[in-house]
Amino acid sequence: MTESAILDKTAAAPAAPAPLMRDAFIDVLTEAAGDAPDILFVSADFGAKALDRYRRERASQFIHAGISEQNMVDLAAGLALSGKRVFLYAMAPFLTLRCLEQIKATVAAMQLPVTLVGVGVGLGYDHATLTHFAIEDLACLKAMNGIEILTPADAPTAEAAARLCLQAPAFRYIRLDRQAQPGLAPPLSAPGDLKPGLRVVGAGQTVAIVTCGALCQTALAAAAELAADGAAPRVIDLYRVKPLATDNLLQALDGCGAIVTVEEQLLDGGFGSAVAEALIDAGRLLPMRRLGLRDGFVVRNGHRDRLWQDFGIDRPAIVAAVRDLRQAAL
Amino acid sequence: MNGAAPFNDLEERARWLRRQVFHMVMQHREGHAPSSFSMAEILTLLYYGGVARLRRGEPDWPDRDRILVSKGHAAHALYPILADLDYFDTAELDRFTEPGSFLGMYADNRVPGIEGISGSLGHGLGMGAGFALAARMDGRDYRTFVILGDGECYEGSIWESAMFAAHHRLDTLVAIVDRNALCILGRTEELVRLDPLADKWRSFGWAVAEVDGHDLGALRAALGRLGDTGGKPLAIVADTVKGKGIPFMEGRPEWHNRMPDEQQLALAWQALGGPEARGND
Repeated sequence: MTESAILDKTAAAPAAPAPLMRDAFIDVLTEAAGDAPDILFVSADFGAKALDRYRRERASQFIHAGISEQNMVDLAAGLALSGKRVFLYAMAPFLTLRCLEQIKATVAAMQLPVTLVGVGVGLGYDHATLTHFAIEDLACLKAMNGIEILTPADAPTAEAAARLCLQAPAFRYIRLDRQAQPGLAPPLSAPGDLKPGLRVVGAGQTVAIVTCGALCQTALAAAAELAADGAAPRVIDLYRVKPLATDNLLQALDGCGAIVTVEEQLLDGGFGSAVAEALIDAGRLLPMRRLGLRDGFVVRNGHRDRLWQDFGIDRPAIVAAVRDLRQAAL
Repeated sequence: MNGAAPFNDLEERARWLRRQVFHMVMQHREGHAPSSFSMAEILTLLYYGGVARLRRGEPDWPDRDRILVSKGHAAHALYPILADLDYFDTAELDRFTEPGSFLGMYADNRVPGIEGISGSLGHGLGMGAGFALAARMDGRDYRTFVILGDGECYEGSIWESAMFAAHHRLDTLVAIVDRNALCILGRTEELVRLDPLADKWRSFGWAVAEVDGHDLGALRAALGRLGDTGGKPLAIVADTVKGKGIPFMEGRPEWHNRMPDEQQLALAWQALGGPEARGND
């Protein structure tokens, strides 16, 4: 059984196997780097099939930083100050928290065009558990001044994100899922498609499920189940949590009276917090339920879907939350 | 010294720098004079001793040598030099740390001539490795000088970057360790031992020189090894005295961020040649 089949039983089987987001992202860089010697890709000992090709074809534009995330970020700052477009690549938990102070003190402080490309967000490294979970990365990174944070839900979005990073270099964090995910509609394939910061991936009303990344599939599965009640919720892929496009979110929520947010993050300062803050600041607070990891959580071993069940962010938990909120929303 | 004004007496230039820095710091009693004074000869030699390639009035000249003071609490010691290089108006020095001034207690790269922000310790060597690597990639011949505090060498990131720079044979990179042997709370060798510090750099694959950091001739000789290290980056462990130039501050950790009272201020100026001497600088 493949990894994605184990971990995403709820998703409809794609016609062709979807590419991994990291491969989609890196392939864009490999193509572009041929004519652009200022593109540099730096890894802290993390790989990808597409990176094997990049290293073959763009050897002079690849740097292994050692398993030294602190050095990697400081080095990137020096390279970016020298006019390079730098991409830093590692497992998401180490790329973010291991060198958070470096990110703050150099890249954020000087607003340098450095892209952090993290793989395995949320509970992607399910069996590796606590050290490998990236469940505080949103809270920590969205506290960085001037950062843009994108969480692609599928490979085309990852590809569009890579093109955006090339076209408009800036301080960004790209959060890639470890597993391949089926493509969502409407597809995001050009950098300009990412401008709105969100997309409605499931039509519905009354209650909106707002999520991002791999959990979009789970939210859609929950929505399909709820449609059988005769009232499908709307499903919103909020792929850009910072800067959060509040006006677009309010527009996407039009007609919905309640919100369920779903995240693979510790709830403190995470994804749902960002949504709630945006609505508070807009003076448009709605009844809301945040599904995510609660403080004091305990991990039992298991595949990602089992973890989702344990943490109350699986399909049945979403269905139950939406049903609860329906009354409040009407 | 193709950037700085002709100035033959480097010792006098170091005294000039101390007076300039002390004046800045005492205006609003903000800043770190003792940490600046331990590297006064190092900066003097780099900027005025014919070492760094710079152009007067051109802080963004692409081929300029890069100089980073990674011990950021003392980076403000560069301001008088950068003003003297016509990177900005000397009058700005009198506005040091004032509201609206771009000359803060911690330097950032909004200041012409400041190559990268510092303040938090342990970042400069990695940034410097980035400069040196970029120079090689771009076929440019500028060199990179990073001034580290010895207390800064406690930071693990320094050694991550030291390993990286040696592996990549970044032989245009120089780390100058201002070995004043003091932290805020006491002597490094009593707090957490750093010695043998030079051997640590050697074992990381660097060419190493150990010198008296207030001896301009010795510093010049050590820097003369740049370009002749067999591909190794160059570390200069410069033994210095924190507070050098003001006897009652010398080697005394409590002066890291303490400010003198009126009587001490008079003594300090007397040791530095007097505030009136600054007026003639």
